[in-house]
Amino acid sequence: MKRGLLALTLLLVVGLLMTACRPAATPTTPPPKPTEAPTPVPPTPTPVPRFGAWLDEVVFMGIGGDENALPRLEGGDIDIYGHGIGGPENFARVKANPDLTYSMAFGSYNEITFNPVLEFKDGRLNPFGDPQIREAMNWAVDRNYIVQEIFGGLGATKLLPIVSAFPDYARYIDVVRALEAKYAYNLDRAKEVISQRMIELGAELGPDGKWAYKGKTITLVFVIRVEDERKIIGDYVSNQLEEMGFVVDRQYKTRTEAAPIWIRSDPAEGLWHLYTGGWITTAVERDAGDNFAYFYTKLGMGSPLWQAYTPTEEFFNIAERLANRDFKSLAERDELFRKALELAMQDSVRVWLVDQFSFTPRLAKLEVAADLAGGVEGSQLWAMTMRWKDQVGGRVRWGQPDVLIEPWNPIGGSNWVYDVDVQRGLGEYAVVSDPYTGLLLPNRIEKAEVVVKEGLPVGKTLDWVSLQFAPEIKVPEDAWADWDAANQRFITVGEKFPEGTTANVKVTVYYPADLFQKVRWHDGSPLSLGDFLMTMIMTFDRGKEESPIFDEAAKSILDSFLAHFKGVRIVSTDPLVIETYEDLFYLDAENNVTNAVCWWPYYDQGQAPWHSVALGYLAEANKELAFTSAKATALEVEYMSYVAGPSLDILKKYLDQAAAEKFIPYAPTLGQFVSADEAAARYANLAKWYDQYKHFWVNTGPFYLALVDPTARTVLLKRNEAYPDPAEKWAGFGVPKVAVVELEGPSQVTKGQEAKYDVYVTFEEEPYPSDEIASVVYLIFDSQGNLLAKGDAAMVAEGQYQVVLSGDVTSKFPAGAAKLEVAVASKVVSIPAYGTLEFVVVAP
Amino acid sequence: MSEQALAIPRKRVRSVSFLQSTFARLLRYTLVRGVTIFITVVIGVYLTVMIANMGGYVDQIRKGEIRENIAIQVINDPAYRSLSADAKRQLIEERVRLEEKRLGLDQPFLIRSFRFLENALTLRLGFAQLMNSNSGSRQVRLILLERLPATLLLFGTENLFLFFLSLFIALMLSRQYGSLWDRLFVVLSPTSSAPGWFYGLFLILIFAGWLRILPFGDLVDAPPPQTPLLYALSVAKHMILPIMALTLSAIFLSVYSWRTFFLIYSSEDYVELAKAKGLSGRTIERRYILRPTLPTIVTNFLLTVIGLWTGAPIFETVFNWPGLGRTLYQAVGLFDVPVIVGSTVIFAYLLAITVFLLDIIYAILDPRVRVSA
Repeated sequence: MKRGLLALTLLLVVGLLMTACRPAATPTTPPPKPTEAPTPVPPTPTPVPRFGAWLDEVVFMGIGGDENALPRLEGGDIDIYGHGIGGPENFARVKANPDLTYSMAFGSYNEITFNPVLEFKDGRLNPFGDPQIREAMNWAVDRNYIVQEIFGGLGATKLLPIVSAFPDYARYIDVVRALEAKYAYNLDRAKEVISQRMIELGAELGPDGKWAYKGKTITLVFVIRVEDERKIIGDYVSNQLEEMGFVVDRQYKTRTEAAPIWIRSDPAEGLWHLYTGGWITTAVERDAGDNFAYFYTKLGMGSPLWQAYTPTEEFFNIAERLANRDFKSLAERDELFRKALELAMQDSVRVWLVDQFSFTPRLAKLEVAADLAGGVEGSQLWAMTMRWKDQVGGRVRWGQPDVLIEPWNPIGGSNWVYDVDVQRGLGEYAVVSDPYTGLLLPNRIEKAEVVVKEGLPVGKTLDWVSLQFAPEIKVPEDAWADWDAANQRFITVGEKFPEGTTANVKVTVYYPADLFQKVRWHDGSPLSLGDFLMTMIMTFDRGKEESPIFDEAAKSILDSFLAHFKGVRIVSTDPLVIETYEDLFYLDAENNVTNAVCWWPYYDQGQAPWHSVALGYLAEANKELAFTSAKATALEVEYMSYVAGPSLDILKKYLDQAAAEKFIPYAPTLGQFVSADEAAARYANLAKWYDQYKHFWVNTGPFYLALVDPTARTVLLKRNEAYPDPAEKWAGFGVPKVAVVELEGPSQVTKGQEAKYDVYVTFEEEPYPSDEIASVVYLIFDSQGNLLAKGDAAMVAEGQYQVVLSGDVTSKFPAGAAKLEVAVASKVVSIPAYGTLEFVVVAP
Repeated sequence: MSEQALAIPRKRVRSVSFLQSTFARLLRYTLVRGVTIFITVVIGVYLTVMIANMGGYVDQIRKGEIRENIAIQVINDPAYRSLSADAKRQLIEERVRLEEKRLGLDQPFLIRSFRFLENALTLRLGFAQLMNSNSGSRQVRLILLERLPATLLLFGTENLFLFFLSLFIALMLSRQYGSLWDRLFVVLSPTSSAPGWFYGLFLILIFAGWLRILPFGDLVDAPPPQTPLLYALSVAKHMILPIMALTLSAIFLSVYSWRTFFLIYSSEDYVELAKAKGLSGRTIERRYILRPTLPTIVTNFLLTVIGLWTGAPIFETVFNWPGLGRTLYQAVGLFDVPVIVGSTVIFAYLLAITVFLLDIIYAILDPRVRVSA
């Protein structure tokens, strides 16, 4: 009985299962025929365009030192290590892992700094006080060895004070190559020159093979930094010096131990002879002209070392003119620059060694646009370009050494790169820096007009800016030139300069008509004219002694600003048009349209609406908090933080007060543009925001600050769904378009006969678009590296160029080996590309 | 009767005078001891001030750093890129002057050293020069207090766990002298010569890098869970590896030491006598072994507790644990004297109070201790 029931049950279950698994039955009855108009078929849903960031969330995590980066990436604990790291082993490890990729950055470089005093106070001779010995040191160091053996190929040899990945290097490639040939590694030559000069200076080589002066062995004190590859560089250079008969006292020191010796001590005291210097540039440098004044003359710094520099009068004048842009045309600048490069080598208070490459490792399926100088952490576009490959949304875990290093406030808060990179994702600029060229691009502005005084060497590359020249640029009388902090109103040009004034540059910025409708702060408040006015006021007010928030640190900055600022005028409030008059100018018209002249509400250390700045204003005016570290120390109060800590309670107190009073800061001026109702609405929005997120960091960028956990060293960013721009806006910045150059042509050239060489310029095996190429320059060198000829290659087709060496040109070539080098400069990436081909010149 | 009546007050007088003299001796002892300890604290703190400042040389270091930092900031700031060379130099000089003034470097070090001492002794810890607390505060008090919970949580849990576990196992082993377990602990005790972070590296490699079942480090998951329970569970998960590492590095030696200590006491004559009297093992353990060793155990325990204040810089670095050790290590690296002095003075006071209290606790715990004349 039981068995029968069981069998029946099983049969039933199997039957049910088979029924469930059976394909759907084909309908036996035909579908009803339509009796009325056919029901419209619902259209295939088109994908909803994504606005704002591609990602939903980014988690910033402080994970300790660089040594944790790769284990955590490989272990799946983080998706990107935002801070650039070095080390050939690390690089090889990333390249060998198919799950990882990287972005390169080129902004840091190393050199040997010399003490330039010839005879110390105690009578000791310093060989490096002699320019010829310093110059000869260029032959004594094998830069290729340093790059290949010490940096494992993660670098480029460096002879000059310009970075090889930046535009000036390609612009002056002919002089660069000639100098590189002239100063190529040659220890014998270095020995010869140095020996000769040492004898002329009164030194003698003792029987032990060591240099001595007045009977005493010359001991060179070499301060060697130990934190990075500079320790090995120091040892290598020491070995070379010992090879040339010097006794070297290698003093291995950390940064803090070394600083008082090399930068603080009087060079004449003779506490040191050499130091392993290291420098960093965090953005693509489009004009490196001021490097000569900075690195070689006393104009660089007030410290004893810089004040001991004694360049030749000619070099000093050229360096000063380049730094002050005291030239009338680009041709004149070129001439000065080329000369400065040569004089820098003759001066050589620094022997440049290597342009270091660092890399930012990440998972291979994660895409992001990195800045060529600053890497991912220095990119202004990371927030809008970071995404998972072929995916919309998702979360990225961003590891870096630390986060929340110092208090965040928009006026004088943290400027640590580990905080600024987070802030870049939260805020946005009016113009952003092209990560590959350093040229500014419009983000919130529609267009700009730049008018430059005739004779100033300004040019333009991109179409969003117009460039005009005028014989004179008069500043209108009703423009604002300064700030009366006592009465809280602007001082007009007519009041400040009764006889009128002129400027070198006038920049007119046009914002789009829907700006104030489209852009909203994270707390929901629409952007308004008051935000721009507050930016203008804060530029001046903190540097004025009559201000309730006067800050001594801001005074010197304001003084510098007023030395070149001539006036600002709001031409139209809706649409917003602002014109600014300046004496400062940049060589690129685009880069004259800075965020400063856009008056966009992005302060020195972050973006902020006027109503959140107002809280900080009240807190500082009442001496409870301070925007800057210096003032916080002076007042013995907290350094203001908008995101955490004891500052929040104080700011909340002033939010309540401001809301109750409908407080409008700088009412005599700002009150003309902001109504009490707007103030009330904004404070209410901010109060709601604070209740939800417990901080006051309110921006307009593609992410908002969702969570700050200082103890866990974690910050969570979430996508701002109200962001008005489509996610594809910056899609073109996937990979830097570094060209590949290949040369084809005869391996033998007969003197006096024409020779033709084909140049193929490609990117990812496709012809490089001609409209993106700035120049294709060829150079011919003999076997000694002497420049024989140079010129521009002619375009034949897209991606194809030709170098034609006429019979006249080849007739001047000496017989023997020669080399053709082609340098291609791109408009869309600052890194030049090179191709070389060797050939033999024979007699006819 | 009358003699007796007279005798009683005489005894009382003797008793009162005895109490008075004992109290006076105790007071005098306490006072002398307190003053001695305080002088030691003053000397210790001033020495810390001098060492932390390298006798004033830190001023030179700090000035060099300020100049280097500001110069690099100015040359890298696009806002100043177009300034003339002279204007740029003036800007650098002005900012250097302000920063030196902010840090008090415009005043002689000797004067500042006594100010440091005075502030430290009165526990006016003030503001740090360069460092911030986790939440961004410059108050030394907050810098230390915000890190204290993480340190107490990890090292407190671990030390208490280790302390009591070691005592328990040691007592057990002292009763089983020569057993397999006893020999095992003796053999493994040299493994404690390696520090906790050393084991930590291996454990991270195995459990985080290879098996991927435990986190590499940190206090909590990122982003941190939003409910207290999940947050606590996350913290607990992050504590597993550090506690394993610390336990592995210390347990064997700790057990070995206590076990040897108990063995020594177990062979005292009075313990043998107790055994001969037929007292139970538990009674012997409690009354004849633990009781006389209590002062040592309490001393050890209290020193362990106040030792938490110093944290463990390398261990915290390996596990990226936001504790006091890394803060102090960072303060030393940055020559942030207020933080170094603040931390030291608190440790000094804690140590002084502990030593002072131990004198009293000894008298209570150990009947052999008396305040002498």
